Amino acid sequence: MKTAGAVIVLQLLFFSAFAQDIGKHLGDENFMYAETKQINQFFRRFNSEEDLEGKRIYENDPHYHNKEYRAKYIRMLFDNENPDISNQVKEEFIRDVTDDAHPEFLDYYGGRWFAEVDAKFNYKGESRTVVLFLELEKEDLGIKWVINNVYFYPFSKMFFADSSAMHKFLHPMSHEIDFMNLIKVFREPNTVEYYFNEDFRPDFKTLFLYEVKQGDLVFETIQNVTFHFFQIKDWYFQLKEFNRPGYNTGWLISNISKIPEDQKGMLLKYIYYEN
Amino acid sequence: MKNIKIFLSVALAVISTVAFAQPEISPERKQAIDSLALEKVKDLGKYISIIGNKETPFSEANRVIERALELFAPGSQMGVSSLNRKEIKYYGIREYLQRLMALNYDRVNIEWFNVQYISDLVRQPDGRYVGVITIYQRFVGESDDGLKYVDTTKKDITVYVERKQTQIHGRLIGFWDVLLGDIRVTETKPG
Repeated sequence: MKTAGAVIVLQLLFFSAFAQDIGKHLGDENFMYAETKQINQFFRRFNSEEDLEGKRIYENDPHYHNKEYRAKYIRMLFDNENPDISNQVKEEFIRDVTDDAHPEFLDYYGGRWFAEVDAKFNYKGESRTVVLFLELEKEDLGIKWVINNVYFYPFSKMFFADSSAMHKFLHPMSHEIDFMNLIKVFREPNTVEYYFNEDFRPDFKTLFLYEVKQGDLVFETIQNVTFHFFQIKDWYFQLKEFNRPGYNTGWLISNISKIPEDQKGMLLKYIYYEN
Repeated sequence: MKNIKIFLSVALAVISTVAFAQPEISPERKQAIDSLALEKVKDLGKYISIIGNKETPFSEANRVIERALELFAPGSQMGVSSLNRKEIKYYGIREYLQRLMALNYDRVNIEWFNVQYISDLVRQPDGRYVGVITIYQRFVGESDDGLKYVDTTKKDITVYVERKQTQIHGRLIGFWDVLLGDIRVTETKPG
């Protein structure tokens, strides 16, 4: 906290001397300096790629990727009101990412980070939440966000919900009777999926698109946005935006776990509601 | 019947076209573009103050709305949320400005906080660059009968940056054009 306070004081001193005049100014701006205002700023602070004013710095600047600056900045990037993030975890994380031999930086273009967006849709007359997962994808001259996964609770209740039907099958001689027994399969629409191949998993993306195109799912608004980061070796963390009084605000680490690389796949499945 | 040959040739073509050019804007050029973008944001702030001021004649306010709209890329929207309602409410820019003009305050004052944050510029698939400028503003609306409404908002303003050319006295001159895009407006809680 001491270091965070020191950085804020430095920011204030720095800013009062070099403030850019863009209109009628007000006081009480301390919290705005401290706030991590954009994801972009989270990246830059994490990596020490901006000065205390928030201006981009480049490789020839002594503070660029500076270990001490990074440690100070990263301490400011945790949600300090979350008791589950202990000081021990914070310090271990900072130690790992600022390691002299193998420092780790966040890379906007590096993949292994994505957004989870809770969006409200009108679904057949009722307001429901659809969870959209978005990731960055390169295309032509640049890069763009694309929807790469969808979770919608009513879809999940639609499949494999009746475990009593687990052992249903089409017997192996069905071909000799022109599969006439398919009539029994489709007589019970709630259990048809049990007659599919073992690897079958319902594709929520396609279902979602179908419902949107049918006009049964109509976008209303955005409710919540979370970012998941898997870029740092043996660590996972989550970012959320905190809009509250004080200096510990903006885009902050709301959840962090030390997790071996070979277990990240399982965590990813959990986040995608695939477990 | 699916044709495997066609599948493979299409797949290979797709793989060969995803080569990605990293954004290349020098720090000096970036600074110049940032200043240009901030100017546009500043212009928008001035226009909003004029539009919201009840002393501005109706015809003048409408003229300023048209000027303000020229700052924006087509289809731009305002997405507004408050401390009580986190969900985003959407307005077209024209609609937002017209609502501002119709507010029943006798005095509207829009003040800037001395903080702005300018993101990196990232190249889109169409070759244009996009960034976000964050500013903070305090809106004060007062009525002669003593009613006063005050809010502080964080505005995250999309900026599109494009290299264009124009002909002056027969010579082609290159310049950077900046257009504003969607604006996310969040009511903030001062510290």
